[in-house]
Amino acid sequence: MKIAIGPVLYEWGKKGLRDFYRRMAETTSADILYIGEVVCSKRNHLSPEEMAQLAEALRPTGKEIVFSTLGLVMTEEEQLYLRQVIQEATRLGVMFEANDMAGVAIGEGCLMVAGPHITTYNPETLDFLAGVGVRRVVAPVELSQAMIAGIMQQIRSQVEMEVFAYGRLPLTFSARCYTARAFRLPKTNCQYKCGEFPDGMIMKTQEDEPLLNINGVQTLSARVFNLVAEVEQLAASGVKIVRLSPQSQGMEEIVHIWHERLSGRMDVSEALQRLQTINHDEPFCNGYYHGRAGLDFVAPPG
Amino acid sequence: MEILAPAGNLPSLKAAVESGADAVYFGFGNVTNARNFEGLNFTEKEAATGIAHAHAHGVKANIVLNTFPQIDGPDIWYRTVDLAAKLGADAIILANLALLKYCRERYPELPIHLSVQASASNHASIQFYQRHFGIQRVILPRVLTVAEIRALKEQVNVDLEVFAFGGLCVMAEGRCYLSSYVTGVSPNIEGVCSPARAVRFDNTADKLQTRLNGVLIAQYAPGEEAAYPTICKGRFAANEQVYHVMEEPGSLNILGMLPEVIEAGVVSLKIEGRQRTKSYVATVTRVMRHAVDAYYAAPDQFRAKGSWLKTLNAISEGTTHTLGTYQENWQ
Repeated sequence: MKIAIGPVLYEWGKKGLRDFYRRMAETTSADILYIGEVVCSKRNHLSPEEMAQLAEALRPTGKEIVFSTLGLVMTEEEQLYLRQVIQEATRLGVMFEANDMAGVAIGEGCLMVAGPHITTYNPETLDFLAGVGVRRVVAPVELSQAMIAGIMQQIRSQVEMEVFAYGRLPLTFSARCYTARAFRLPKTNCQYKCGEFPDGMIMKTQEDEPLLNINGVQTLSARVFNLVAEVEQLAASGVKIVRLSPQSQGMEEIVHIWHERLSGRMDVSEALQRLQTINHDEPFCNGYYHGRAGLDFVAPPG
Repeated sequence: MEILAPAGNLPSLKAAVESGADAVYFGFGNVTNARNFEGLNFTEKEAATGIAHAHAHGVKANIVLNTFPQIDGPDIWYRTVDLAAKLGADAIILANLALLKYCRERYPELPIHLSVQASASNHASIQFYQRHFGIQRVILPRVLTVAEIRALKEQVNVDLEVFAFGGLCVMAEGRCYLSSYVTGVSPNIEGVCSPARAVRFDNTADKLQTRLNGVLIAQYAPGEEAAYPTICKGRFAANEQVYHVMEEPGSLNILGMLPEVIEAGVVSLKIEGRQRTKSYVATVTRVMRHAVDAYYAAPDQFRAKGSWLKTLNAISEGTTHTLGTYQENWQ
């Protein structure tokens, strides 16, 4: 299986994004880099031309580059920007990741990835999407192993399956910015407060249990989703790519651990233990994969 | 302007018809509809009776089929499309690409309304669904302002339906996993958000706690009214405060902006609440009928009457209401 670094979901600024992707390209064994803003159009720090320049600069490292696009598209300006990103992707000969049906619509006929925010729940939907240009599907995060394997067994088209395998789960989008709301600011004058939270803002229950993670108009899980114990089963289910979602600290080591696990040089318990340390001993989750509540964690046998 | 009322069962459907609805919508009592609550929804026989009753009174009946077919037993979804066509529904409400394709190929005459669960919030998506499946109407997700709805209408030639009253989803529908993250039960798969079987109300001496699958959603002082525990309306701690992080419990109520919504080019005002009682359906439908009739009688003089708001607030969640996303400053 290949390793993909998913799009950066947080507000890291133009320089932060460029530095991050350079480091990922030059110092890790990741195979695929997803570049581009998925969460909030106010964070479109890289123009489509700058995305193309970054992609060209990273190309010599041999990584596959994919341009990610916005998850909830509403305005005329957002559709225009989306169109320009798709044009740049096509010009460079790279794929783009559609995360709203607007991306599928505007890019119809181009080769594309259907991102995790496209509701791909059954093989017939994959086959339809393949007919309009989709070559790779990132499973919606709530799909279980049984559903993923079932879909891969029944599809008729040649579509690759990628699975979100490590990171805080992207659970939903809204028109409302919850970070701005936490500071009693309107979205129109958000002052980019999300920039103060490079890994999102934790939301706890009144019993002090971390539950969710506020990231602008997006809500993530507070727990880090982790399928490092399940890689053999993922591969056997027909999954070709695992997605590791960027976090601000320790990403090189996370990629390294996953690479060692995928190549069979590191066993489950060591990988879990090392990731646990990077995760400050906070509990992981993997419930969705096992057909349970997303926040559950099913420990590997033994 | 169509007033579209919810029907969780046959008595509600009849109440909606009697109270002045132009159209009703309902689904079947299984995983194929996103209000799959126990004791609710229609059998095939009830659906036939309901459609006949609606048609006898000049009212349209739309069938809801807005979850996503699964690997195990997808047939029930496809058979429900067949059933809607056989029963003579005036429209079928669909969200999934596979079902849209099936319906358009098999039943080219059956009007398709794109469900809010498809979360089509821009003209590019809507045109895509129109191009491939000939959708006649789109039910807009509750993420757009009235100004954005007006701009959207200028770009598309499909009918627009909007939510006018009832529960307020603050997330992009069909792509929200908050419920399944906590309970394991998904609106998209099982058709239920915050299922009743996962809900618990714990009463102690000094507070009432509401829980969802054991997770504390909110706590209330004695005498304070407790809302049904959905995660997006919960009271949590963030940024060193305890508050309704996402949204206060309360109902969406469009009456304060009815003229703007009508003039934006919307064709249908949808009342939410298939899980509510028949008296709720009757009350909301009647108030909406009065309001819409009052608008058309004298558009320039329209004002939401205090008595209408009072009546609706009395049956609203938290006995309060909001214009939600329709107002510019809600975000």
